[in-house]
Amino acid sequence: MDNPLIRVGNLVKNYHRGSEELTVLSGLNFIVEDGEFVALMGPSGSGKTTLLNLIAGIDRPTSGYIFVGTDEISSMTDSQLADWRSRHIGFIFQTYNLIPVLTAFENVELPLLLTPLGRVERRKHVEIALYIVGLSDRMSHYPRQLSGGQEQRVAIARAIVTDPTLLVADEPTGDLDAKSAEEILILLERLNSEFKKTIVIVTHDPRAAARARRIVHLEKGVLKEDIKAEDRGSVRLADSTLAFADVKS
Amino acid sequence: MKFFPLIFKNVFRKKTRTVLTIGSIILPLLVICLMGSFLSALNMPDPAQTRGMFRIVTRHKVGLASPLPVSYAEKIRQLDGAIAVTKFNWFGGKYIDDSARNFFARFAVDPETLVLVFDDATITSGSANDWFNDRAGSLVGEDLIKKFGWNIGDQVVLIGDIYPTTIQLTIRAVYKLQNEPSDALFFNRKYLEEVLPSFQGNVGTIWIKCRDGAAATKLADEIDQMFENSPYPTKTESEKAFQMGFVSMLGNVKLLVTSLTIIIVLVILLIAANTMALSARERVREIAVLRTLGFSSWKILTLILGESLILALIGGIIGLGAFIIGLKPLKASLMNTPISGFASAIKPFPEVLLLGLIITLLVGLLSGLAPAIRASQRPITEGLRHVG
Repeated sequence: MDNPLIRVGNLVKNYHRGSEELTVLSGLNFIVEDGEFVALMGPSGSGKTTLLNLIAGIDRPTSGYIFVGTDEISSMTDSQLADWRSRHIGFIFQTYNLIPVLTAFENVELPLLLTPLGRVERRKHVEIALYIVGLSDRMSHYPRQLSGGQEQRVAIARAIVTDPTLLVADEPTGDLDAKSAEEILILLERLNSEFKKTIVIVTHDPRAAARARRIVHLEKGVLKEDIKAEDRGSVRLADSTLAFADVKS
Repeated sequence: MKFFPLIFKNVFRKKTRTVLTIGSIILPLLVICLMGSFLSALNMPDPAQTRGMFRIVTRHKVGLASPLPVSYAEKIRQLDGAIAVTKFNWFGGKYIDDSARNFFARFAVDPETLVLVFDDATITSGSANDWFNDRAGSLVGEDLIKKFGWNIGDQVVLIGDIYPTTIQLTIRAVYKLQNEPSDALFFNRKYLEEVLPSFQGNVGTIWIKCRDGAAATKLADEIDQMFENSPYPTKTESEKAFQMGFVSMLGNVKLLVTSLTIIIVLVILLIAANTMALSARERVREIAVLRTLGFSSWKILTLILGESLILALIGGIIGLGAFIIGLKPLKASLMNTPISGFASAIKPFPEVLLLGLIITLLVGLLSGLAPAIRASQRPITEGLRHVG
């Protein structure tokens, strides 16, 4: 372990459904190195989205710990977590989740409103983020005027505009056609390789997982398989992922 | 301030609903302002007293429809503290027709004593002597002169109803009262006594100019005690109380107006709260997204309260503005009605405008409070899963 960014230990997450208690994650241990591109895979109900939410600080574990960098987010208060998310997390959703009444520019600017940056600086940051995702010419467009792929790119610009420590994405290509999905994956890969962003994605899409440098399989709340590109080579990793997907389907 | 565009865009997210909600704030606020002004007018100090005029009015204890013996005026005049006494009889009747536009107050009076009791009035045109010397002459308020475009020497024909006779009057003088409506017509009671002998001996109200405030208070009691056991007991009150008496005939007006105001405020509150609750419910997922981006619960609470506050303020400012602008034409239209005296007293009182603003702010804050708390406290993961 050279430089761990995320350290998860003995992580347990229980949910209550009426009087019934469901264990989604049971004593999970997991580390993500700084600069890694990790794909969390697994069947529905395996706990991958729950793990992602816990790492992103939008949910709280029942027990165990989560460190992101030197911050133990599992012991933070709600307001501390909110502040931490604004500085360290870029979240990409499956359904983009752009605010429909705001333009692409205003959507990307949203996280910057929580920073002390002035109007001119915010503009500069937004322009850069939209340039990176290739939407400099769509700044004043509303989400309804954009295609699905473009909306997701705006969502990615919103996620990277504060230059967060960690990018997390929940099924980022789940709502896209194959061509748009490919473009988004290339963009994520570029953010990882070129901009050195640590990325954790949850996906069912083998093509998406194939872009990752590491694939973590979860099943029934425990880590089942952990495949690294360094171990097997990126091409073989892709093959293994596709094969895994075939088996599951 | 940097959050203002976000708040503003959310306020106008559903334009029709926003416009309807703003409208539902504007209209009741207008009614509240009108009722508040009405109450303020009731509570205004007696304009005559502010000029050092201490007048009291004596009428039959039973009501204005019951006359008093004309001899009472002389008895009252002899009391200590009474400087001048004059007699009023409401003539009623109609001018041209029965329409509200042609309605104004018409009184048969003693011209010589009238000007003594109302010596704060000024004659702006014609002369009092011309009126005194012409039994069929009349003294007309400046507001009426302007309204009907009359001039000195013009004829005014009044067709009686209480008194079954038609009288033809010549305008001999024009009066003006400071800070009070000058919208009545006075003519010599002797004219009426001549054409209607049955009119003699009766008087509707007796107006007394007192030496000072203390004398006014003392005289009011003294007069009523003097006639307490007579066949015509009296009720004496200040000029303002007498004028207010017309309104209080409707019952406990202040309580009624205050109760209505409270009900209207509650109605606005419910409408605005419903809009805010709908608006917040439609955006459960969006709010969860904002919180994912790092917006704290407190920030979400502030944003939603900001929305409800802006919504209410837009309605409030338009409502108060419409009230100020619309008051003048409204007063003009009421000048021809029996409540013209009140209409002229109504104005945009600062305390009423302040009340309107406070109600607006309260509606803004209270209507957004419950949805704001709910939205800010909902778990993020639950919000992100929300469909709808």
